[in-house]
Amino acid sequence: MLCLGIESTAHTFACAVVEKNGKIHSDVRKIYRPPEGEGIHPREASRHHIESSTKVLVDSLQQARIKIKDLDIIAYAAGPGLGPCLRVGAVVARSLASYYKIPLYPVHHAIGHIDLGKLLTGAKDPLVLLVSGGHTMLLAFMKEKWRVFGETLDITLGQLLDQFGRSIGFASPCGKNIEELAAKTSTYIQLPYVVKGNDVSFSGLLSATKSISSQKEKACFSLQETAFAMISEATERALSFTKKKELMVVGGVAANKRLSNMLKSICKRQNCKFYVVPQQFAGDCGAQIAWTGLLEATAKKGSALENTFVRQSWRLDSVNINY
Amino acid sequence: MKLIKKGAEGDLYLTTWNKQKSILKVRKKKAYRNPLLDEKIRRQRTIKEAQIIVEAKSFGVDTPLIYLVDIKSCSIVMQHIEGTLVRDLSDSKLVRCCNKIGYIVGTLHKNGIMHGDLTTSNFILSKNKLVTIDFGLANKTSKPEDHAIDLRLLKEILGSAHVYIMKKTWASFLSGYKAIVGPTRLAQVTNLVSVIESRGRYATVV
Repeated sequence: MLCLGIESTAHTFACAVVEKNGKIHSDVRKIYRPPEGEGIHPREASRHHIESSTKVLVDSLQQARIKIKDLDIIAYAAGPGLGPCLRVGAVVARSLASYYKIPLYPVHHAIGHIDLGKLLTGAKDPLVLLVSGGHTMLLAFMKEKWRVFGETLDITLGQLLDQFGRSIGFASPCGKNIEELAAKTSTYIQLPYVVKGNDVSFSGLLSATKSISSQKEKACFSLQETAFAMISEATERALSFTKKKELMVVGGVAANKRLSNMLKSICKRQNCKFYVVPQQFAGDCGAQIAWTGLLEATAKKGSALENTFVRQSWRLDSVNINY
Repeated sequence: MKLIKKGAEGDLYLTTWNKQKSILKVRKKKAYRNPLLDEKIRRQRTIKEAQIIVEAKSFGVDTPLIYLVDIKSCSIVMQHIEGTLVRDLSDSKLVRCCNKIGYIVGTLHKNGIMHGDLTTSNFILSKNKLVTIDFGLANKTSKPEDHAIDLRLLKEILGSAHVYIMKKTWASFLSGYKAIVGPTRLAQVTNLVSVIESRGRYATVV
């Protein structure tokens, strides 16, 4: 069984062909890059997606050496994300599905991150740390849903890095730029550290870091040290509470080396296995959507065309999982 | 000395103090944290925890007795509480305990203290008494927003770890809390809980 996954929640338009046995036959993506110092402009990003969609789709089929008619199902990211961007992916998915009469599956973007993470790392029953531009959550699976054991009370880790990065002139996503600057110093400037139980809050940290941004390298270093230590502490608390024996990190910020080193050290202390999604699949991609689509197809039929909406706001813990 | 738990905050050892069975809680250095930050966190939390555990006793909240505080090594020796963590209780007992937790949290809040880490693993049921532990994240505050943060965390834990009986435990907690703080304050704090929840990611539909 072959599934085409279409991702277009934010800056990435991506298509991937994945087989039911977990083999990723192709994974093609094109990323919208805003001008330096700016964030994603939803209209500009959706324009980029429209212009890229044909090429990305054709390339993904060619790399997988298949024709559209060979596809058994199509899955698309139905949310959460930026409305104009989401609609591009949904339109492509609906058009293909209705013209070629292929069953269609709307998929939750972040559940795609988790499912693909499990496929690629082999984690079985992990505590999941999901860190991306849209999410910062600690999750464990229980009674048909991913349950939240801790999360950010305001902005996400990805937003924190991006918003600070933009204020010093980078273009989103800025995680990599910040990591590179931070590596150049080891002078720590005290910044607010806010952990509330298993929850964290980053908004105060963002303002405080902006106030020391004239010292770019030190600011980046201190920001990373503080924010990652907060996340790590919340993770350790949740691990200790849930008694899970596996930790899996997924999402765009999972690519950061400093963060994964901190988390590795926690896992060692808590005697639990550490899994991090391979860097290539940490960011948004079509494979995550295709894989969740395939999993959903084992439990239910495709959605009727009139039920294939997009949802800009879609809480992860509201999605029922029957597979 | 026997290591009994490697908690997120510190290591717990079973030890004796003046021939009494007691607990040694050590906040060890965390290698992953920047040393400056680490030192500050461990020291502040050790002091706060000891102070607030003692203060909570003064208005009738059961907490362990503090025997010794050593700020240099960030360690506290305290009374060993025999019993079961509320997290590990049966469902029916848990619902009843949540009512008592409501009383306790109400009393703490009324006296200007937020616990900061209200999870079901921070209450021990010991001979029909409910003992509150782990005040490392506690703070002295009477702000309704801070109290709402306490309630929201407990709600998050009841809605995840104990999701099968979430409605019952939450109602049971609120009725206990209301009995202490009164209906006006309860309404004020629970409204703020909704405000905090609505600030969460993707919580409000746009």
